[in-house]
Amino acid sequence: MASNRDEEILHELRRLAGEVDPVPGEVTSFAKAALGWRRIDAELAELLSDSLLDSGRVALTRGAAGTRALSFKAADLEIDLEIRESEPGFLLLGQLAPPVSATIDVERDDGSVTATVEADELGRFRTELESGGRLRLRIRRESAPDVETSWIAI
Amino acid sequence: MALEQLIHAAAAGDQAAWDEIVNRFSGLVWATARAHRLSRDDAADVAQTTWLRLVENLDRIREPEKVGAWLATTARHESLRVIRRGTREQPSDEPDLFEAPSDEMFDRLLVERERDGALWRAFAKLSERCKTLLRLLVSDEEPSYEEIGAALGMPIGAIGPTRIRCLDKLRRMVDLAGLKI
Repeated sequence: MASNRDEEILHELRRLAGEVDPVPGEVTSFAKAALGWRRIDAELAELLSDSLLDSGRVALTRGAAGTRALSFKAADLEIDLEIRESEPGFLLLGQLAPPVSATIDVERDDGSVTATVEADELGRFRTELESGGRLRLRIRRESAPDVETSWIAI
Repeated sequence: MALEQLIHAAAAGDQAAWDEIVNRFSGLVWATARAHRLSRDDAADVAQTTWLRLVENLDRIREPEKVGAWLATTARHESLRVIRRGTREQPSDEPDLFEAPSDEMFDRLLVERERDGALWRAFAKLSERCKTLLRLLVSDEEPSYEEIGAALGMPIGAIGPTRIRCLDKLRRMVDLAGLKI
């Protein structure tokens, strides 16, 4: 059982944390505006794996000159994505499975489409980005609904 | 409104419901990133990504009562990504919760409040484990043990005993410093 004294100390600490380290106003405004990013007409391809988090592979991927491997999964489509550091930005190499030709938009969280690229008949695509940031891919196919990946920060 | 209704309404585009969810959990998400010792800029990135992740999952949430723990887990994973990416900013002279604050910082933030300064210095002397746990405990709304466990990657069963031990230490330091709390 916590004593009243402990509760009082926690109370003081909470007040102090609120003054010294408050949640920045711009973070709260961003979070509230984020509702505008709801998917309306696309299916989510959920982030399944990320070499940055897969601790067994951290050493390996770090060794491979700043390469990060991610995979996303929707009901009928998987997306493998490799992100390599390149001067001055990043190289994105992707693979759709099953292989399908598609148009892929790289969207940023300011609403812009920073790149649009075609996947070939084997489902492969590549594009370069000048800078990192928060982004997601929108995959547009001829005869299937659009798919959007989870947001990732690079 | 219950969390389940809020999430349902937000998934249908109800901004007021969404705002309430943000208000309820923004302290938890922020404290999770800060407990990983990220700078305020990096913590802001982590928090923003975390909120976008919740938006993209709004129509897929199976257990609405666990959304706080889900957010904490997501913020923890994003924090680890920032750390492992190796591009994080080194905390500068900004208010860092985990360093003993400079006198200058207290002059700026807490003018004429020696008692606050002394409490903060006592807190800063605690072990890393105690500081991160207490930082979570004092985020806006006191989070559940499940949420704290998710934020710190800590077994729920360890939280209660650690809390007692850390508060014990802090209380003794407060006494040593002659603070009247």
